[in-house]
Amino acid sequence: MLSTDRLKELACAAIDEKSSEIIGIAQDILAHPEPGFSEVRTAQVVAKKFTELGIEHKQGLAITGVKGRFAGGAGPGPKVAIIGELDSLLVGEHPHADSETSAAHACGHHCQIGMMLGATMGLLTPQVREQLNGEVVPFAVPAEEFIEVERRLQMRTEGKLEFLGGKQELIRLGEFDDVDMAVMCHTASDMGERKFAMGGTSNGHVVKYVQFLGRGAHAGSAPHRGINALNAATFALQAINANRELYQEEDTVRIHGIMTKGGEAVSAVPAEVKLEWRVRSGTPDAVVRNSAIVDRCFKAGAMAVGASVKITNIPGYLPMRHDNTLQELFRKNATALLGESSILVMSPRRNRGGSTDMGDLSHIIPACHPYTSGAVGAGHSKDYVITDYQNAVVNPAKIMAMTVIDLLADGGAAGKEVLARHRPAMKKDAYVKFQREQAEIVEFSGAG
Amino acid sequence: MPSKEDLKRLAFQAIDDRADEIVGLAQTILKNPEPGFRETKTSHLITSKFAELSIPFRGGMAITGVRGELTGGTAGPTLAILGELDSLIVSEHPHADAATGAAHACGHHCQIGMLYGAALGLMQSGVLSELSGRLVFMAVPAEEYIEIEYRDSLRREGKIEFLGGKPEFIKLGEFDDVNLAMMLHTTSTPAEKQLCLSGTNNGTVAKKIQFIGRGAHAGGTPHLGINALNAATLALTAIHFNRETFQDADTVRVHPIITKGGEAVSAVPADVRMETFVRGRTIEAIMDANMKVDRALKAGAMAVGANVKIQTIPGYMPLTQNQDMADIFEANSNDLVGKENVGHVAHRTGSTDMGDVSQLMPVIHPYVGGASGLGHGADYVIEDYKLAVITAAKALTATAVDLLGDGAAIAGNIIAGHRPEMTKEEYLKFMRQMASEETFESN
Repeated sequence: MLSTDRLKELACAAIDEKSSEIIGIAQDILAHPEPGFSEVRTAQVVAKKFTELGIEHKQGLAITGVKGRFAGGAGPGPKVAIIGELDSLLVGEHPHADSETSAAHACGHHCQIGMMLGATMGLLTPQVREQLNGEVVPFAVPAEEFIEVERRLQMRTEGKLEFLGGKQELIRLGEFDDVDMAVMCHTASDMGERKFAMGGTSNGHVVKYVQFLGRGAHAGSAPHRGINALNAATFALQAINANRELYQEEDTVRIHGIMTKGGEAVSAVPAEVKLEWRVRSGTPDAVVRNSAIVDRCFKAGAMAVGASVKITNIPGYLPMRHDNTLQELFRKNATALLGESSILVMSPRRNRGGSTDMGDLSHIIPACHPYTSGAVGAGHSKDYVITDYQNAVVNPAKIMAMTVIDLLADGGAAGKEVLARHRPAMKKDAYVKFQREQAEIVEFSGAG
Repeated sequence: MPSKEDLKRLAFQAIDDRADEIVGLAQTILKNPEPGFRETKTSHLITSKFAELSIPFRGGMAITGVRGELTGGTAGPTLAILGELDSLIVSEHPHADAATGAAHACGHHCQIGMLYGAALGLMQSGVLSELSGRLVFMAVPAEEYIEIEYRDSLRREGKIEFLGGKPEFIKLGEFDDVNLAMMLHTTSTPAEKQLCLSGTNNGTVAKKIQFIGRGAHAGGTPHLGINALNAATLALTAIHFNRETFQDADTVRVHPIITKGGEAVSAVPADVRMETFVRGRTIEAIMDANMKVDRALKAGAMAVGANVKIQTIPGYMPLTQNQDMADIFEANSNDLVGKENVGHVAHRTGSTDMGDVSQLMPVIHPYVGGASGLGHGADYVIEDYKLAVITAAKALTATAVDLLGDGAAIAGNIIAGHRPEMTKEEYLKFMRQMASEETFESN
């Protein structure tokens, strides 16, 4: 029987051997970006590769998800998912943007598919696989970016999905019921000299579709007959800002949004004004609490001028809970590969402010979502590009493979320890119930 | 029988004979300013003058009001000439009372002078006996709608019901036997010239507002507080957001102040208070704007989860003036100062409780010059007492002669042709309906 270290060496060697191939896959996906729930070609790339590798898989999960599965040769044990996100953003100015759809990989998800496949290839090395217990689940998941809300709501109306995030939807569909823990790795551009980072957390959030309805009137000749929905909305935004003193630093509250309709013609009192708003906070409780404050402000805006408001609340993501045991395995493996000085471990209180649906998964099963270097430019901007594919694809493929070996080799002892030590924040049913409760439609008339 | 012109000449002569005394009364009041419902010295000054002239009078109505009465040679309608007793509070005014800050920054002291001058002129000249009907000289308290807190305490003690002198006089029945009423107010506006015919005035309601939040350490635990000052400032913003719905013709004025804005800068403000007027040209316009203000106040409270207590206090009614009386006053003004010195103004956006009287009977409320500075400001002073008191007294006297002379034929016609907006009972019902207290809870 080979030592765990030897297994890791073999897996890493296999990944090195396949490095051109997995970087090529990432770059192919970069050249064919597809936003969430429409990653048809990207999913096909994954499925084709699974077929080539002889991995049994299911397709079309949450529209485009592809879930592979292979058992180790050492008997039963924990089931570990290696996740890669399929979707791109929409950044029309990005150098690799699709000229027709504006889709662009401005968040590096294409690298995730490369590294997920790379880790899979490493673990499929026969001498490695036969010493693993349990199962490995390489899983390409749709729609991590919470965008195109209007389109996704339409899909919801059509019954194609219920939640607007890919992992949320996969949880609801039961696609994580047979997974015990999950790992993935995201590219980052803000790591300085470091090459690999872990820890910290992310915000949970709720999305609000807000429609103020007033009454149109000629703005010059009969403003007194109108009800100005733009004034209602503007008041609401001032009210939201006046409440900022209520937000506690540890909740890392972010409340931000855009006005998607501010009136129709300058000569008419605006009768319909629409906002798309987002309330983020560090805990689900804080999201609920701050979401209620923001709803109250929207209602106050309606009341201020006698308009009405309809708030469609859409459940967003939950804060990230990194499993400490998993994270420690990541830290050891990243240190072994890259050296201690290249590793950054963030305090669990360090909240990056953004949100990911890996947070949702982390409420149900042990999960870890570290970051790897290789990117430059601000995330989600036209400047975000991968400049070092070794760091962005090959290294994390190795670190994830090494971590899975730790979890499933040696009788799956470490994997079992992760499970034994983990305290889930919610069971799946409670999670689905919680998120459904967030999907509240609030209607309020401010007519005095 | 002497002509009206003869009667006017005789009365003018009597006024001129005692011009110094008449102006002296006004200047004595100037030096003893007292705000509304506190005009005890002023009230005493006028009763002692009535006593000197042997004019029958009663005092103490609406706390400080005085009503003297003269009867003409034959029976006829009753014409009231009004003078306002009260001062403002403008402590920077050169004639301010050092202790109270009270000051005649709106010229009411001249009104008492001219009221006395008119009574004296008609009585001393013997013109009174040529008139038909009665003349009631009313010194009324509290025209300025100020010291709302104090007056509200008088109201709660049962000493008054309404916060203005003339509404109180109406309620007390002091206008029950009056058919027509007039008064003359000083002005400093050059465009209004020496004597000025005016048209309508805004009516108003007053509001006392209290935003109730929750105190908390503003540095340590702001999240535990509810910021009543944020509620109030947002409410102001909400009021502004409604301004575009106020129509030009309604001349709506909403002008709040914050009377308490927090207690210590290190604490989240838990109790913030505001006062405002809501003025408009018509009762409908006031009611519409008042509804919007209430809604805005509630929106401010709702925005931060505070509560708001809104007290609405009936203020003054819009003023409308009787055109026939105005025409007579204008003719007398032309005779007194020359047509080129007579001004006209269609609408004023301030408010007066003469508006309340105008809902019930024909009235006029024209203006006399002689003042300079900004009304209610520290620089509002009377520079020409001869115009502001003596000419004013003559204008009122001449108009009284026209109305009640010749068997009070003109007054009779005006009364017969006038359709009052409200009866006294309707007026009181409306005023009482306007008085409301509401607490809106948003948390």
